Amino acid sequence: MSERGREDIPIRRLKGWRLILRYILLAAAAALFLLPLYWMIVSSLKPEYEVFAVPPAWWPSPPLWQNYRKALTELPFGRYALNTILIAVGAVIGHVVSCSLVAYGFAKLRAPGKNVLFIILLATLMLPYPVVMIPQYIIFSELDWVNTLKPLIVPTFFGNAFYIFLLRQFFMQIPNDLIDAAKIDGANLLQIIWYVILPISRQAIATVAIFTFQFAWNDFLAPLIYLQDQSRYTLMLGLRFFRSSFEVNWAYLMAASLSIAAPVIVLFFFTQRAFISGISMGSLKE
Amino acid sequence: MKKKNLFIGIGALVLASLAISACQPAATATGFETDVVVLRAGTGDSGEGLNPHQSIIADFEDQNENVLVQLEAIAGRDYYTRILTQIAADRAPDVMNIGDDAVPSFVEKGAFVPIDACLADLEFDSSVYLPGLLEPGTVDGELYFLPKDYSTLAVYYNKALFDAAGVDYPQDGWTWDDLLETAQALTEDTDGDGQNDIWGIQLPANWTTGFEYWVAAAGGSLISEDGTSYVGYMDSDATIRAAQFYADLYNEYQVAPPPADFSAFGGGNSEFDNGQAAMRIFGRWPQAGMLDNPNIDLGVVGTPSDAVEANILFWGGFGISSTTDNLAEACNFLSYYAGPEAAQTWKDWALPAVTSVAEMPEVADDPLNSVWIDELDDLKPRAYTFTPYWNESADPALRTALETILLEPDADVAAVMGQAAQDAQSALDELLAE
Amino acid sequence: MFGSNTQKGKKLTPFRRKEARAFYLTISPWLIGFVLLTVGPMLYSLYISFTRYDLLSPPEWAGLYNYLEKMPNDARFWQSLKVTAIYTAAYVPLEMIGGLMLALLVRERVRGIKVFRTIFYLPTVLAGVAFAVVWLLLLNPRGGLVNLGLKAVGINGPRWLLDPDWALFSLLLMSFWGWGRAMVIYLAGLQSIPGEIYEAAAIDGASRWDSFWRITIPMLSSTIFFNLILSVIGTFQTFTNAFVATDGGPLDATLFFVLYLYKQGFDLRNMGYASALAWVLFVIILVFTLLIFRSQEFWVFYAGEKTDE
Repeated sequence: MSERGREDIPIRRLKGWRLILRYILLAAAAALFLLPLYWMIVSSLKPEYEVFAVPPAWWPSPPLWQNYRKALTELPFGRYALNTILIAVGAVIGHVVSCSLVAYGFAKLRAPGKNVLFIILLATLMLPYPVVMIPQYIIFSELDWVNTLKPLIVPTFFGNAFYIFLLRQFFMQIPNDLIDAAKIDGANLLQIIWYVILPISRQAIATVAIFTFQFAWNDFLAPLIYLQDQSRYTLMLGLRFFRSSFEVNWAYLMAASLSIAAPVIVLFFFTQRAFISGISMGSLKE
Repeated sequence: MKKKNLFIGIGALVLASLAISACQPAATATGFETDVVVLRAGTGDSGEGLNPHQSIIADFEDQNENVLVQLEAIAGRDYYTRILTQIAADRAPDVMNIGDDAVPSFVEKGAFVPIDACLADLEFDSSVYLPGLLEPGTVDGELYFLPKDYSTLAVYYNKALFDAAGVDYPQDGWTWDDLLETAQALTEDTDGDGQNDIWGIQLPANWTTGFEYWVAAAGGSLISEDGTSYVGYMDSDATIRAAQFYADLYNEYQVAPPPADFSAFGGGNSEFDNGQAAMRIFGRWPQAGMLDNPNIDLGVVGTPSDAVEANILFWGGFGISSTTDNLAEACNFLSYYAGPEAAQTWKDWALPAVTSVAEMPEVADDPLNSVWIDELDDLKPRAYTFTPYWNESADPALRTALETILLEPDADVAAVMGQAAQDAQSALDELLAE
Repeated sequence: MFGSNTQKGKKLTPFRRKEARAFYLTISPWLIGFVLLTVGPMLYSLYISFTRYDLLSPPEWAGLYNYLEKMPNDARFWQSLKVTAIYTAAYVPLEMIGGLMLALLVRERVRGIKVFRTIFYLPTVLAGVAFAVVWLLLLNPRGGLVNLGLKAVGINGPRWLLDPDWALFSLLLMSFWGWGRAMVIYLAGLQSIPGEIYEAAAIDGASRWDSFWRITIPMLSSTIFFNLILSVIGTFQTFTNAFVATDGGPLDATLFFVLYLYKQGFDLRNMGYASALAWVLFVIILVFTLLIFRSQEFWVFYAGEKTDE
């Protein structure tokens, strides 16, 4: 199977009553987390006027599975999904490439003014988006990038404070000996990053990837203002379709929301090994 | 192996979506000859409400081969966020749909151009509309907007519940007393658990605009005619009477189900839709859904009067952006979009704005639609027409007042309205002083 | 605070100079993007905060009006500050601890753990609107599962999102669903703790409790630091749930600061005032962040050597 084997497990394996207790706790927590999800699924299968009914039905009879088909065919969700995937994949590449580089600098290199710059980096997270939205829109409008996917992908190649910070924290955990050893062997900056830092930081980088993907999937405000004609809409914009000024189609909205979230959830499930298990520091001996 | 998983996962997603999108209709044309004009039309409509837009646009494009219309639609509140951003960047759509209360401020700030001149060039006859429907789109005597759709308020009722309780259907010309009596006759606690199961009438909670009807019917006004004073109006006897009656329906007589939420949607109460409320006062927007609802045998009647017969108009219109490069084309499209030919399409989705369509037998004789249209005779002016600062000064105060009297059964309505008037007044004074 | 490496007047050795050049090279993507796309809009919004701007016509200079006259007299401003402060003070510790607990629960590779991890992460993926609406349903005073459940044990539940006294608490209640993100980050941090340390500690007779507090927590401190900073910065800017579920109500009980700012900017078209509000929030967040940074030296431990000094 995997040569990763068992390095990622702390030494004590759970046995006996500890294991059972663990499962009980997990089950309890999971039930709590699943309750709202369950209610979403139930609501999505009800006819529209029953969604807010009092008292509510625990399971609709009959369950309207066609709500899913109807909700998803009202709009070209396939095209929206494609747009969204393009943005998400582009953003992942952009973030992984740029944030690793920048984070390495903040983590391992010394320079005058570095700490001030780091604070400025964080400060960019502190101003709420709605007030920078408009001047940024004007910039992109001057570039004639409005109504394209570019304003949503290109900026990711310039890094993102959240992920730079996250990777910086991880890189700071890497013992300097490894880097020094590589330098002695004559590695330059990029080689250090590629051969030393990245392999160790797989899980952190994969974390950046999954978070970026999920954020891009769910992003609303930026696509709202940058994507004008419907053929370029993302899934989140498509979701707004089920709302009009005075009425909302709840059942369809739930069905669509669940369907839209499903790919990311599936992606998380299958790729979690990438960012939750990894080589632990201690097993690296050079 | 985990890297492989990642790639497989992403690869599968990309392939899947490529496959799906291949079955979807093609995108709007991106390559075109240089003499094709592309008009952008923005609207806050959503859902199925986009169908008439799309079919009218398709018809227009057939008749005007060198024009392509790009529809940019997004629902409600987000629509305003988007067009405000676009206007700030001088990138507004050529034709925009906005609501009545946005007209004064948008026009005052120069976001739209007057259309009298270009319509005259097209020999467009603007008298084709029902009386009163051009007014919300007219500012200082100049016409800026053509009507798109409108609604009044009316009372929906569920004949099935009335029949079951043996109560007569409400008749036009009824009063608030009749409303109370009817609602009480229909409200029932069927299973004896101390909670009502069938309600007389579903009310729209803290909806401030809808509240204007109650005030108008009681003979009052929320603001002075010159638009400078709330004190003496928002807290007048008539207004207090309206607020008291409204609150009493909820708390004292308990004929109205408690509000389900105060969220931006206001869509929480669904007793009427579930056949648990016999009546509902609202605009025409949900009517189509109600007709499809097996729980409801639908009837519609005009709003009850108190001191006077009153109703209020909700209106949306199309105008032309002041930053458009294609005024003549946009005007041409506008006259089509809102004109008599497109009205044939609109009539299936909303009340017709064009007189000739309104007089068609299928519309005029429709027992439901005729009620809505007849209510146009009792219109009282909307509060926003008296001051451009209505949304900022009065709306929050009024909303707080409504929420207070609904949530606290012991609240002193007169005091609450007095407070609202004060708050609105000080906000207004500040704005006027700027 | 960060160590003094801005040694004024002290020349850098060629080695240090080379390192500084390398530093600026590595951060150049961010720096360029900052200059081109971020600093301009930020400064522009600062400028706007000194104007009256309704988005439809050009901004008009208003000096300090927004800051000195409008804000202090604006009851809703103070209310939104209060709401945001209370919520942040409650939510940040909850998320920090809750996320850690979840991470500890799922770090072991027992059977089916992948499913559990996904379950806990799942809510963060479900988009804002549907999430909030589901809670509106669950917390419905008459028909929602929560109150029905309470009724079954004889308690008359409050009106939750409709009650000014309970609305904020309701949002806090709903917020546990968002712990998945912190959990994932903690998991990544936990994975980087070498197993040998636990082994050695066990040999020395340390109990599980001991090794948790003396090994896990300190080795996790840089992750905790990260989560703390991001949580503070993010929670002060809470927006979506209030926007969708309550629109700030009832009676402004859930009028979060960024929600209020958004309403001022886009509903009321007071973009100047909204920008001023944004900058006030900025300063508040900055102060808290700097405080947390300052405290770093007392409790944060980096396994690699610190390079700030």
